Parts: sequence; structure tokens; C-alpha cells
Amino acid sequence: MNARTLLLNAYVYAVLAFILVPILIILPMAFSETQYLTFPPQGFTLRWFEEFFNNRRWMDATWFSLRIAALTAVSTAIIGTMATYALVRGAGSLGTIFQALLIGPIVVPHIALAVALYLFFQQSGLSGTTIGYVLAHTIIALPFTVFTVSAALSSVDPALEDAAMSCGATRFTAFRLITLPIILPNVISGALFAFIISFDEPVIAFFLAGIRDKTLPRMMFDDIEQNLTPVIPAIAVLLTVLSISVLLGAAILRRIAARNAVTVDT
Amino acid sequence: MAVEAAPQSRGASIEIEHLDKYFGAVRAVDDVSLSIAAGEFIALLGPSGSGKSTILMSLAGFERPTGGRILIDGQDCTYLPPYKRNIGMVFQHYTLFPHLSVMDNVAFPLKMRGISKAERRRQAEAALETVRLAGYGQRMPKQLSGGQQQRVALARAIVYRPRVLLMDEPLSALDKNLREEMQLEIKRLHSELGLTVVFVTHDQSEALTMADRIAILKSGRLQQVSPARELYERPSNLFTASFIGEMNMLPAEWDGRTASLPGGGVMEVGAKSMIDPVGPGKSVLAIRPERLSIAAPDSAGSWPATVCDVIYAGAGTLVIAEMPGGTEVRVRLPSNAVGSLSRGEAIGLTCPPDAALLYSAEQAT
Repeated sequence: MNARTLLLNAYVYAVLAFILVPILIILPMAFSETQYLTFPPQGFTLRWFEEFFNNRRWMDATWFSLRIAALTAVSTAIIGTMATYALVRGAGSLGTIFQALLIGPIVVPHIALAVALYLFFQQSGLSGTTIGYVLAHTIIALPFTVFTVSAALSSVDPALEDAAMSCGATRFTAFRLITLPIILPNVISGALFAFIISFDEPVIAFFLAGIRDKTLPRMMFDDIEQNLTPVIPAIAVLLTVLSISVLLGAAILRRIAARNAVTVDT
Repeated sequence: MAVEAAPQSRGASIEIEHLDKYFGAVRAVDDVSLSIAAGEFIALLGPSGSGKSTILMSLAGFERPTGGRILIDGQDCTYLPPYKRNIGMVFQHYTLFPHLSVMDNVAFPLKMRGISKAERRRQAEAALETVRLAGYGQRMPKQLSGGQQQRVALARAIVYRPRVLLMDEPLSALDKNLREEMQLEIKRLHSELGLTVVFVTHDQSEALTMADRIAILKSGRLQQVSPARELYERPSNLFTASFIGEMNMLPAEWDGRTASLPGGGVMEVGAKSMIDPVGPGKSVLAIRPERLSIAAPDSAGSWPATVCDVIYAGAGTLVIAEMPGGTEVRVRLPSNAVGSLSRGEAIGLTCPPDAALLYSAEQAT
């Protein structure tokens, strides 16, 4: 191994460490017996998890976040699939504009979007409501769904729907019975992405939070300012586990989809 | 048992009247009119971009014509959506539904028609038997070879007994042996089921072997619609003459009685040798290579030429010769009729009067 590759390896590991170390530090702190956040953790206890599950305020915020995330996942899956279908199967010259608008939220800083939504939602009374959150989260999660669905859709031969129509199916039936089942793993995978994006979304939650209904990330931020108990890392552990399992599920689904999509004309 | 054939012809007649289709400014189909009889097997043949697929897609309902009408059994279906046409269609790339078993693929059209599950199975099984794939129902399309997939596609297209079967280059993805086998298979199905078949291809030998009549298309215009033999022996214009088979195109000067070739050859041309009357002036003599023969140089009535190449190919031999002025002439002879010919040798070419066709050179565009 020469000096060059050695340096490259060192660099890669440094980046990985930079990303992972904060997580590796915060996670053990959830099991510390001390009353406040300490590192290294002392002893081992599950009482902070207990405290989280027994606390009414934490549970309310969790259910609120879960509800928003679930609704965001559903709305993103429906809107995202429809939009992607239009994009991939013939949006014509409007396609590029449409695509730019759809994936725009990746480029636009969330803070800018949050401010805009804040002003708009204040006037329309959507601030702090479930609908308001779902709308906002759908906007930022949509690009990810569009990416995963379009990957699947572009590998499906458009002639399949023609074939179904020549067999007597209407265009919608052809989509429902032929194209949708083939791309479904990717649609669900996209929905799972949307779920995670919504569930731990902090920026918009910060601007849109009402007085009573707060999402879990917003609640954690409020809490950390007042009491630095290890409940916060305990929640972080739970969120991490949830995220990893959901994304793992999405990856498995996409692998299934890739296997199914082995092209028709082989 | 195969799909029960009705006593009378089950095919539908098709009338295409003044069909036009523009894509932007491009006229993909240009005033095409074509009558297809019930039970007829017709091939649409032409180079790519000739509009043959657009015509087929208009028949299927996937293209909306810009002008003209399409009547199937007298009923106007120009703008009827595909799923209301009751037409069977086989696509170029099999287009089997990859997530459904072979049985479910074949039963799909029956499901769309609200037929009960047991009946669907029975009819799908019968259709699979018709294409000689009985017992393959439980497999997935991916587990079948290309030829088998195409048979399943065929079974799916005929399972609900449509009166018209459309095929869009269905064999182009298959290798040569399989293609010939499927050609026979499709011919057999056609005579067994008696349906009207419209078959698009760019392979002329496929069209000539399979179809009752062949419609030649070029740049969206219909050139000729004829049975194979007439198409080969009496092509109606220069395009079909050069498109179908091999053809020598000799530039000639036509004075109303004789055609003179460059280099002094002369041929008397009767009215039978003209499809359309040709006015005096520059013209083209079209002669099939197998109708020419080789004679001694300067023998009476022969045209002077020089041998360029002799290509021996078993039963037949191809002689490539050049006439004065540089026109290349191909002569195909049975190998035993070719004496020793060497490159550069002077020969005479002879041609029976009924073997040549005269066309006006102005057509040649």
C-alpha cells in the first residue's frame, strides 16, 4: 500500500468517524444511571425509556408525529406515483419544468420553505394542524418518492399497458392491474422514505408548531433546553432503530422490485 | 381440443378509407385506402418510417388518425378506444405481464370481459393448447424461451376469439429457425380460426410466404396491394420493383416502340410490359436477374457486356456484369448452365421480351 492510498483510506475513515461518532456517543448515554447527560455513561438502566413511555407529553408528541408521518407517507405515495407516471410516460415539453418543480424542495433550503409556509399557514389557519404538517412534509418528501418510483417505472415497458388495453382493459385498469403491481415495491419503499423524513423533520416543525400539538423532534428541542435528562438520548436510540429498520425495509423492497423488473424482452 | 371454430368464416372485414396521420408536420400516413376481406391475411410491408406501424396502431386504436375512417365489419371505429374494439393484438416484444403466470396472462382478456374463473381457466387452457403450450400455465413468463413467450402472447390475443388479429412485427425478436417455425404456426392458426390477420413486417420474405395479399408502403403512401406472385412479377412502380426481390434497373431511351440501352442494346417493348403507359423519353427497363441469360458476344439480339465477377453458390451462380456506360447487371443462372466465365470476358446478354418491364424514369424519386 503506497502513501497515496494510505492517505485516501485515512481520509475516508475520518469522514466516517465524523459522521458516526456523535451517534455512537449519544446512544450509550441513554442507558446511564445519572440524572443528567454524562459521558462516559455510568451504570446501566432502562428507566429513561420507561420515563419516555410513561410520560403523557412525550406520548402525545410521538402519536402526533406518527400520525403525520403515516399520512405523509400515504399522500406522498399517491401524489408521487401519479406525478412520476406523468413525468415518465409523456409530460411532453412541460416535463422538464414539472420535474424541476417536483425535485425543487431538495435544492431549496428547508428554512426558506419553512418561512414561506409559516407566513402562508398563519393566514390560512393551517399552522400547527395535522393537515398543515402533512402538506409541508409531503412537499419535502415528494422528491425522494419520485426518484424511487421513476427508477422502477422507467424499466416497465409502456407497451404492457397497450397490451392490456388491447385485451379489453381501460387505461386506468391497465395501470392498476399491470403497471402498479410491478412498481408497488418501489412505491412502498418511497412511502417509507417519506415516513422517516416526516417523522424526524425538525425545521418545519419548529416554525409550524402550535402551542399544544408538537411533533416529537420539536418536543425534544423544547425539553433539552429545560432538563438535560437522558430521556433525550433514549428517544434518539428509538428514532435511530426505527429509521434503520424502515430504511432496511425499503432497501429490501427495492431489491425485490429490481428482481421483478428483469426486463420483459430477454 | 382446439378453440372451436365456427362453421362460417369468423373474420371481420376491414375498410380503411383515406386514412391520414400527421405527427406535427410529418405526414406519417398519407391518404391510405385499403379494403381487407373477412378472413384475409394481409401483410403491411415497407421500410422503417413507411407508416405501416402507424396504420396498424390506428386499427388497434392506439393512434388517433388525423383524417379518414376505419370500418370494421361496417362499423365506424376510427375513434373507438382500444379496449372497445375486440381486436387481438400481438406486439413486437411479447409484452407478457411479467408478474402474472402464463395462465393468468392468457386469461386476462377473459377477466376483462367478466367471465367466471372456472370458465376463464378452461378457455385459457384451450388457447394454450392451440399454440401447443398445454401444461405451461403455472410457469412465469420469465421461465419461457422467446418463442414460447411469443406463443403465449398469441394465445392471449386469440383467447377471446376476436375477429381481427393484429400483429406488429411479432417475429422480429426471434432467431431465424424459430421465426420460420412461428410463421407456419401463425399460418396454421389463421386457417384454423379463420380470423382476419393484419401483419406488419419489414421482412419481405416473411410477407411473401405468409400473406394472401401484401400492401407495400413508402413514406406513408400505399404503393401496391397484390398477392405475392403479382407483386414479384408485375410490380406497379419502380419502388416496389426495387423493394421486392432483386431487380436490374437499366436506364433506357424509349421511343414508343423500342427501348435502347447504353452501348447499343435494343429491345422491343410491347404493351404488356408496361404497367402504366409510358411516354417517350428517358425510361427504366426492370429485369429480374434470373430472367437474363448469357450468350456469345455479338450474337443476334444480345446486349454487349463485360464480366466483372462470378460468384458460385451451390445450386445457383451469380454473374455480375457491366454494360458500356457503367450500368451493373446481375444475372442469376443455374450453376450447370454457366460455362467457364472469367473476369473481363466480353459476353452478350439476352432477355425474353416478356421478362422486362418498362417504367418512366420520372417516377424514380
